[in-house]
Amino acid sequence: MNDICVFIKLSDVKLNLHRYRAYLYLAPAIVLAALFCWYPAVKGFIESFFTVSHSGTVQGFAGLSNYRTLFSDKAFLNSVSNTLRFIVLFVPANTFLTLLAASLTRRKSRFSFIPEYIFFVPVAVSLSAYSLLFRELFRGKASVINRILGTDFLWINDKSGAMATLVILGIFLDFGLDYILLMSAFRGIDKNIIEAARMDGAGGWRLFFQVELPQIRGTVLATVFLALKDAILISAPIIILTEGGPYRSTETIMFYYYTEAFRSGNRAVQNSMAALVLTIAAVAFAIYSLRRKSR
Amino acid sequence: MIRRPLDQMKFVLRKVVLLLLALIVAFPLFYMFSSSLFSAKDFNKVNLLPAKAVFSNYAKVFGHRYFGSYIINSVGTSVLASVIRTVVIVLASFALTHLSFKGRNLIFSALMLTLFVPQEAVLYQNYRTIASLGLLDTWAGIIATSLFSAAQMILVMGSFMAQDRSSYDAARIDGASDLRYIVSVLVPLSGPAVLTVSIQTLITTFNSYLWPLLVTNKPKTRTIQTGITMLGFAESGDMGAQMASLVLITVPFMIVLAFTKKRIENSLIRR
Repeated sequence: MNDICVFIKLSDVKLNLHRYRAYLYLAPAIVLAALFCWYPAVKGFIESFFTVSHSGTVQGFAGLSNYRTLFSDKAFLNSVSNTLRFIVLFVPANTFLTLLAASLTRRKSRFSFIPEYIFFVPVAVSLSAYSLLFRELFRGKASVINRILGTDFLWINDKSGAMATLVILGIFLDFGLDYILLMSAFRGIDKNIIEAARMDGAGGWRLFFQVELPQIRGTVLATVFLALKDAILISAPIIILTEGGPYRSTETIMFYYYTEAFRSGNRAVQNSMAALVLTIAAVAFAIYSLRRKSR
Repeated sequence: MIRRPLDQMKFVLRKVVLLLLALIVAFPLFYMFSSSLFSAKDFNKVNLLPAKAVFSNYAKVFGHRYFGSYIINSVGTSVLASVIRTVVIVLASFALTHLSFKGRNLIFSALMLTLFVPQEAVLYQNYRTIASLGLLDTWAGIIATSLFSAAQMILVMGSFMAQDRSSYDAARIDGASDLRYIVSVLVPLSGPAVLTVSIQTLITTFNSYLWPLLVTNKPKTRTIQTGITMLGFAESGDMGAQMASLVLITVPFMIVLAFTKKRIENSLIRR
């Protein structure tokens, strides 16, 4: 690093005009970060302690009353419990299935490119395409899924069915990316480690659970956090698939935020929710980066 | 290789589970393709394959009055976002890795702070900003909030730092400007990282749903991902045309994926 600094100093003497060029190069990034990240985050956080009119003008200090309103709002509490239910169902199922797919295809063979492509291809399908597709697949009693399973479950029009459909949709949305991360991690394990374990007589299950899985635990952890983040913030698939229904059974935190902020214009709920999400995200991210650093 | 019966059973079991999982993952896409050729009758009968392939579904999609503008808006915004974000990130990464100046660490940390703020938490405030700048229903409004990414900047900075410094020194002594050095030496040498940033941005912008939904109101200014939910085919009972529209926006990415799968894999496998 040092010799570069010396060089830069020399060049600065030579070209005084260029002295501030670093700031010039950084200006677009700083302006964008300030305008669309720092400013809205700080403004939203501060406004969560004020009374803000429908049109957005600040009317007076409110203390914690916005938060009190929020936490006595039954619909909000319902959205929290729905989100928690979604997390509990989605994160383990997603982790298990993507890990299963990755472990079944972790060894390269002649025809392994076929399942690899199938497991990877969900990456190519957009969120709205999958959501529209699932809306059709799970629609009503005479749905395609019911025909295949031989059931007559109501899926999207049933309280628990709608949540189940949403969890399955969530798994498909994240499947491709998680799969490719995990599969690449398996293949990136040092061959010597596996060979050494084989020589020691480890095979099959033992090789997988005691050697390979521990080797990729960093990637597994990353996919779990990715799934957790997506689960906490899920809203767009709900807008397309269920509109939060039936009977608010699929209203998650971010879906509720979306309806309050953009449809009802409820400032008290909107700002305090944004501040809460921000805090949760910051804490979660801090924990994750600390864990990464400590390893 | 001689296998014991137990090993053989395990082998078969593994293949069966693999086959089952692959069928489940592939099924929605299979149905999407198949039902894009359905007639209304096939939908009523809950068929899995069309009794007779109907291609008019695709004609209906191409004949839709807004489908063309949805596609143009999506391609336009994603290419624009990709180019601008790549330039912004390359310039910032260059300054942070190749130059020394006052406040370098402060600026770097401040930019890294954006990692803590999910777009969802600032959705409403950003909407207000875009509205007050008069950018609703414009391409600028659709892409403005996604023109910088700290995560991608880390990636590019890592690649820039790995390059040999003496080439920059030499270029400066030869009188080459910074931009010249970036364009003809640094970026070509950091090809994979810069390419990853631009492709990632292209795909995420093309596929984004919520933000374009919020900042566009006129049908003509919508992108395909929001527009596709508003084509009106499903509502008027024309499910086949809806499915055909899904096929049309998915197939290009499936083809791209088939060609780039190896590359993506190799870039992910640590060596």
